[in-house]
Amino acid sequence: MIQMKICIVGAFGVGKTSLISRYAQGIFSEKYKTTVGVKIDKKVLEHNGNSVTLILWDLEGEDALSSVRPAHLRGASGYVLVIDGSRRNTLEVGIDLQQRVERASGPVPFVCVINKADLKDSWEIDASDIEALQRRHWILIETSAKTGTAVEQVFQRLTDAILREQDVAKYGTSALAG
Amino acid sequence: MATAPSRQVVQDSQSDRDSGGYIRLREILVGPEQKQLEELQQRLEDRELRAEDVSEVLAEAIALRIQRDRKLQQVFDPLVEEAVRISVARDPSILANALFPVIGEAVRKSVAHALRALVDAINQSLERRFSIQALKWRIEAFRTGRSFGEIVLTRSVHYRVEEVFLIHRETGLLLQHVSRADQVVQDSDLVSGMLTAIQDFVRDSFRRASDQEIDTIELADFKLWVQSGPAAMLAVVISGTPPPELRNLLQRTLEKIHREYGPAMRSPQRDTSIFVATRPLLLACLLGQQPHRRANRAKVLFAAAAAVLVILLALTTISSLRAQRQWDALIERLQLEPGIVLTQADRSRGRYRLIGLRDPLSTDPQSLIAAAGIDPQRITTRWEPYASDDAKLKSLRFLTEKTELEQDVVRFSLNSTELAPGEASKLDDLASHIVLLQQSGNATGQRVTVELRGHTDRSGNETKNATLSARRAEAMSRGLVARGVSASMLRTVGMASSEAVQRTPGAYLPEMNRAVTFRVINESEAR
Repeated sequence: MIQMKICIVGAFGVGKTSLISRYAQGIFSEKYKTTVGVKIDKKVLEHNGNSVTLILWDLEGEDALSSVRPAHLRGASGYVLVIDGSRRNTLEVGIDLQQRVERASGPVPFVCVINKADLKDSWEIDASDIEALQRRHWILIETSAKTGTAVEQVFQRLTDAILREQDVAKYGTSALAG
Repeated sequence: MATAPSRQVVQDSQSDRDSGGYIRLREILVGPEQKQLEELQQRLEDRELRAEDVSEVLAEAIALRIQRDRKLQQVFDPLVEEAVRISVARDPSILANALFPVIGEAVRKSVAHALRALVDAINQSLERRFSIQALKWRIEAFRTGRSFGEIVLTRSVHYRVEEVFLIHRETGLLLQHVSRADQVVQDSDLVSGMLTAIQDFVRDSFRRASDQEIDTIELADFKLWVQSGPAAMLAVVISGTPPPELRNLLQRTLEKIHREYGPAMRSPQRDTSIFVATRPLLLACLLGQQPHRRANRAKVLFAAAAAVLVILLALTTISSLRAQRQWDALIERLQLEPGIVLTQADRSRGRYRLIGLRDPLSTDPQSLIAAAGIDPQRITTRWEPYASDDAKLKSLRFLTEKTELEQDVVRFSLNSTELAPGEASKLDDLASHIVLLQQSGNATGQRVTVELRGHTDRSGNETKNATLSARRAEAMSRGLVARGVSASMLRTVGMASSEAVQRTPGAYLPEMNRAVTFRVINESEAR
């Protein structure tokens, strides 16, 4: 039985919660996010025939008033960094957040999600921005929490990346190169 | 090293031959290696140099070993203990100074914890002290040689551990979970994550208490006890009131888990199947007994009985108050009622008694009792008749008598001024009636005259009839005066057959018209 803690981070209003509510099962209401700063949901998926349980920590949106609690990031096996394609500043917040998360939870795998693909006509993030992110070797996935496009894929890719990295750590082989 | 003796032997055997050429050859062939060997040998024999070498790699070696297993810690353990002992023996102030910054906090925490446990224990023991249950447990403890605390934990019916969570402290991942059949917590994975998040939240929010954690969460029917260790925490859901001994058990269980699974909990492995082996330890924490529900039911029954009692009491009080009020109202009503004089009114054990005087013309007391809402069956009454002095009743009495008199008919024989057979008996009554009427008329200030009206039937000559009717009236007048009625208040008139006497509607009876009737005239009104 494989269990992993996955954090969902991103600027305020990028659609983290909608992304999760499309995807996972939960029992807690939204108000936990504003009080405790996190809401926890879970998703069970398959990886190489094994069932993997992702415990998703949906962290409070990052904005001028509140920032992610480092304590909530501890022990995460990976994280999803969410950016809103239609709001340029969420990209900057995202890049800053990525560095802070890495400081708190170490260099664990993550997937960068550019959300609101259904509104691509009005995106403020353009091809050159995406290229810049690709140069950072980020895993980039464009999603739409509204239509559900590619949401499953986000968590599947992240799980693959985490478990592959774990195998690298365990066996010392450079599976990443392959 | 091993080659040195053989080399010596070769040297000895060939010394006499002194083959200088061979030595030179050997120097050329193995000279540098020999030099290296000698240097190495020197280095190995030189303790100082060797220490220098070891010091180069010591830290790395220790780090490597610690990663591999816990042997080094075990080896160092007595060493450190001894070192601390020596240090304290030599100069206690050094260690005291080092501990000073933390000792206050540690003592405070420990004292607070101990005090809380003490309060719990006092509460519990007060509850237990005098119960038969406690006595039984003490006997069992004595008999089996187990500690009283242990017996309390297993026999206590005041609580039940419903679920046990073993939670990884850093990630909040649920390492293992055991529960009774009827699980309380909805989704244990999510709850353990949230619990960890809340612990983090508390730690962050109360900066002064950064090392403190939530150890109890109280819900309406359940308690959540959290016991924290360095790598994992135990959270148990308990119904009822757990004994403080349970804390100790949780602490011991958690320590055991840390001893056995400590390295597994620190590793980056995400496979939690290994912790299945902790199940027996966790299952051992599912203590307490079912009767919590029964206790609950008993509590509910008790509450219901108490509620019924209170309601009955309230109803009785209310109905008794109501009865009292009804009774008071009835008495007041009777006292105010004209023609009724209440001389005695008793009420005891739901029975009532009324004694007094009553004017027959007054309102019927029975109807007043019914109107007051009191069951007439429960009231016994005794009314002595009397004539009330009440003005209203007096005029009422007068009217009644007037009406009665005016209804009377005294019949005469055919064509005669003699009374019809049997009619004579009426005269006494009539006379006393008229006297009474006069009296009550006087009492209300009225001067009353009774007109005696003679009648005949329709047969015969009307002139003759007029005479006959007048004579009948006069005969009646004489009869009444003879019976004590003042002549001055009587007046006679002959009506012949002009005014039919009818007492039964629609039926003209000739014999009813051979008669005298009465009309009461109030002179004061007439004037």
